[in-house]
Amino acid sequence: MLDGVGVNSLEQYMTLLADRQKLVAANIANADTPGFKTKDIDFQTEFTNALQGTQPNVTEVQGLVVKNDGNNVSLDREARLLAENALRFNIASNLLRGQIHTLRMAIEGGGGSSA
Amino acid sequence: MSLFNSLDVSASGMAAQRARAEVLVENLANADTTRTAEGGPYRRKDVVFESSATASPFSSVFQSAIDGQATGVQVSQIVTDSSAPVMRYMPGHPDADKDGFVAFPHVNPAEDMVDLMGASRGYGANVAAMSAIKDMIQRSIDLFR
Repeated sequence: MLDGVGVNSLEQYMTLLADRQKLVAANIANADTPGFKTKDIDFQTEFTNALQGTQPNVTEVQGLVVKNDGNNVSLDREARLLAENALRFNIASNLLRGQIHTLRMAIEGGGGSSA
Repeated sequence: MSLFNSLDVSASGMAAQRARAEVLVENLANADTTRTAEGGPYRRKDVVFESSATASPFSSVFQSAIDGQATGVQVSQIVTDSSAPVMRYMPGHPDADKDGFVAFPHVNPAEDMVDLMGASRGYGANVAAMSAIKDMIQRSIDLFR
């Protein structure tokens, strides 16, 4: 039953969000590392790929201001992505919990009237 | 294991920023130190940050493509300033040379204070990232409730 209602997609979605959040954490940790370049994934493309079982492809973000030490991490950009990923994960986990709840109701619901 | 591994990345950032703050505070505290164990005035120190993989033996089994790309940070070395000390004319000072000049460290407190603010801000950003990741882990755990 769980296969039919997009649980697999939700799982891939959450896995990809966790991966992206990790890249954001790495960008923030390296905000003062000379020569470090901001890394990210193209979320829409990689999500489509992930549904077909392909591993995500990490790219360097273009068009950011490069500081004197060769670092191009923008803390504001990373803060935005950090919040966005957390909120998306929040939505997905709520949806998934709803699916699991439905399944649990189907399992437990008829317990009282088995006679 | 990706999310738990992300905590390592943020933790490495916090550790690096803390090390940076410690060195900056040492510079500030010794801004007027004219005598050290090595002889001569105190010499200012600076940290050098370097991107590094956060390898955890436990997670190696669950490696994903992202793990090699999302690197933490570490202090690769602490550089001691080798520039000439600032000479101040203070004839009465115990460390004055024969011409009455005292060698003072080449420390600019204003520069270190601004750098310290940067370290503090960087530390805060890593704490925010860790808190967001922790929240995501908690939400994953709550799926079982």
